[in-house]
Amino acid sequence: MPTTEMANAFPRKRFFMEMFTRDISLEDCILDLIDNSIDSLVRQKEIDPAADILKRVRRPKNKEPLPLISLKLSEKEISISDNCGGIPPSQVLTEVFSFGHDEGASLGQLGAYGIGLKRAIFKIGEDFEMRSLTAVGGFDAKMDVLLWAEKDDAMEDWKVPIHITGPERKGPFGTSIKFKTLRDEVKMRLRDGAFLGKLSSEIAKTYALFLEEIVRVEVNGSKVEPMLLPIASSDDAKPGQVEFTKGDVKVRIIATLAERKDQEWAYERAGWYVLCNGRIVLSADKSELTGWGEGLPRYHSKYNGFVGILVFRSRKPLALPWTTTKRGLNRESPVFQSAKVEMVMLARPIISFLNGMYPGELFESIPERRIAEKVKAADIRDLASKRPAPFELKKGKVEAKTTTKVQYEAELKDVERIRRAVQKPKWSANRIGRHTFEHFLKTECP
Amino acid sequence: MGEPTQSYLKVPYDLRPAKQVERRMLVESLQQIATLGFPIRDYQYTGFGSVYFIDFVLFHKSLGISKMLSVEYDSAIEKRVKFNQPFRCVTIKLGPIADFIPTLSRKRRHLLWLDYDSVITESHLQDIWLAAAQLPTGSILLVTVDVEPPVKEGTPAKWKDYFSTEAGTYLGTNSARKHFVESNLIDINRHILFNVIKSGLASRDETFIPLYSFEYADGHRMLTVGGMIGTPLNRETLRASTLKDLKYMKFEEADRPFAINIPRLTRKERLFLDKNMPAHAKWALRDFELPAEMLQSYKDIYRYLPVYGELVF
Repeated sequence: MPTTEMANAFPRKRFFMEMFTRDISLEDCILDLIDNSIDSLVRQKEIDPAADILKRVRRPKNKEPLPLISLKLSEKEISISDNCGGIPPSQVLTEVFSFGHDEGASLGQLGAYGIGLKRAIFKIGEDFEMRSLTAVGGFDAKMDVLLWAEKDDAMEDWKVPIHITGPERKGPFGTSIKFKTLRDEVKMRLRDGAFLGKLSSEIAKTYALFLEEIVRVEVNGSKVEPMLLPIASSDDAKPGQVEFTKGDVKVRIIATLAERKDQEWAYERAGWYVLCNGRIVLSADKSELTGWGEGLPRYHSKYNGFVGILVFRSRKPLALPWTTTKRGLNRESPVFQSAKVEMVMLARPIISFLNGMYPGELFESIPERRIAEKVKAADIRDLASKRPAPFELKKGKVEAKTTTKVQYEAELKDVERIRRAVQKPKWSANRIGRHTFEHFLKTECP
Repeated sequence: MGEPTQSYLKVPYDLRPAKQVERRMLVESLQQIATLGFPIRDYQYTGFGSVYFIDFVLFHKSLGISKMLSVEYDSAIEKRVKFNQPFRCVTIKLGPIADFIPTLSRKRRHLLWLDYDSVITESHLQDIWLAAAQLPTGSILLVTVDVEPPVKEGTPAKWKDYFSTEAGTYLGTNSARKHFVESNLIDINRHILFNVIKSGLASRDETFIPLYSFEYADGHRMLTVGGMIGTPLNRETLRASTLKDLKYMKFEEADRPFAINIPRLTRKERLFLDKNMPAHAKWALRDFELPAEMLQSYKDIYRYLPVYGELVF
């Protein structure tokens, strides 16, 4: 006789603590905490990345310094503290510690999922202390995570004790989190001499548009300088741009030539960069995800001169196509699917330009090369202030080169015979070549 | 990147009877499509005119299309191509077609014929992807490729390697060696073409509505696949129309291609056969020997078959 019964579908603390910390690196957990600090500024209405991230902020001189997010990391302790405005008590009781947000919750713009803080806590420490201060009140929280995990029988066990504190007249208003007992694998990562450098460079890349514009970040007291997007332009090569809106998301796409370092393009910096509300979620992508091998050829080192920037912006961060680790794109997202077509169309002329730079035979006076040599680094905010238009080249303006290179192999003994004939035993082969060339010109081509 | 072959040097474009039959069938059906709310004469035609421009002449004269773009890859024959411009309304551009597809206006409907004369390469598939992503709703996309074995004196294993390299992701479930036997290569090509078109359309609301699938050989075996980028409503309109009476229309992706076979006949034989066309069900040919399948081929294509003669000038 069939019966209907109810199967258990309860969450388990162990799942959250042990499983969903596996898909994210320690660096990315720390970046999640930085996102939360920046979101405090969004909530205080100090900044609005969805509207302004592609504009230059003109700050009056002598204004007080930018808000600071300070990270301290050692094998003993990790802490992050900011003066970005803090979290009011109303929010801490309903939002900060719950997994996922309620519908209609007051979200920031970089935190979207309601997962970053919790995942960071589980990933990093066996305990944590958190404190926040605002003009309308603040809170203290301190918890032994392992002890909290032991009791998991009912939803009542899924609460975090909070100590609400009264309003303060004087700042600084902000939030700090401290982990005093680190998990073993975290200590191991911290012992790695390369870790702090890696973390700093991730911060420099990820928040390139935020750093020194609307916020400062320090790691163990050292300021992190933004690592700018490697885009370039010149009068002869104008970047291609497209802009459109789909649902709640504004999309801006820029495709252009890459910045050159020592007259070279670097493989590591070429490809697509994707930003969600100004935060970089994908760097230098050369995979099929961004259209390589579909409407574009498969990536090849001759395309090292290509850089594309895809910027998604929305006041509804859940509408953006990022993954929960913010290290990739949700490829099923309709807005990303639409963007992909435009990316390919915009990139196509640049790919042809780069194909033209490397034809089968070697020509010295290829206009593409001369254009490429003239490009200069550009700032995305300057490019974004221009009207969207396709990639444009002015090949005609480039004067044709009047010289070419003459190069050939010669028998050593023949070179030596010429040395003897001209009585210059120390001349280089190069010098011999030039001399014989000029000799022929003088004597045979009057 | 594979460069287009220089078939204009090998084949006189105007003397390929099967190709000409295909063109005329396209014209006939496009004339009917024009009566179904698709103003073909306002479409832009983009193709590879080479130095002959046969399709341009036909489409301008028979369909009234007067916005035309011919793209030529080979800049070494720039002057020759421009010299042969058939009408003022044909614009000629030099470069790979992939450079021009992203510039095709989305405010205008297009008839785009990617009429390649080589076997499928990765770069063709990029072109087709771009076209499917770029052409606005109501546009018609045609793709022709050579479906001979891609590696001469090869084996199914070698052909499989070739297609895996050039078209890997578009092969779908065709992964066994037996899928790549010579007799199945046309199907492999069809799958690849439909799959790349669907990939280019993936982010769009429109779908690909198959209309054409031709196979023929004026030398090499060729395949043409074509259809409209449109809505389910467009699909219904097209399928409910008199187009279905045209034997060569193929509305399903799975349909076998319509084979254009040209029976070799003398002038007198053709004139005699024509007098009996369209043939009654009961009519039988008694006056000379002709294999039944050749007779059937003739019945299918006599209305489109060109007559060639010597022209003294």
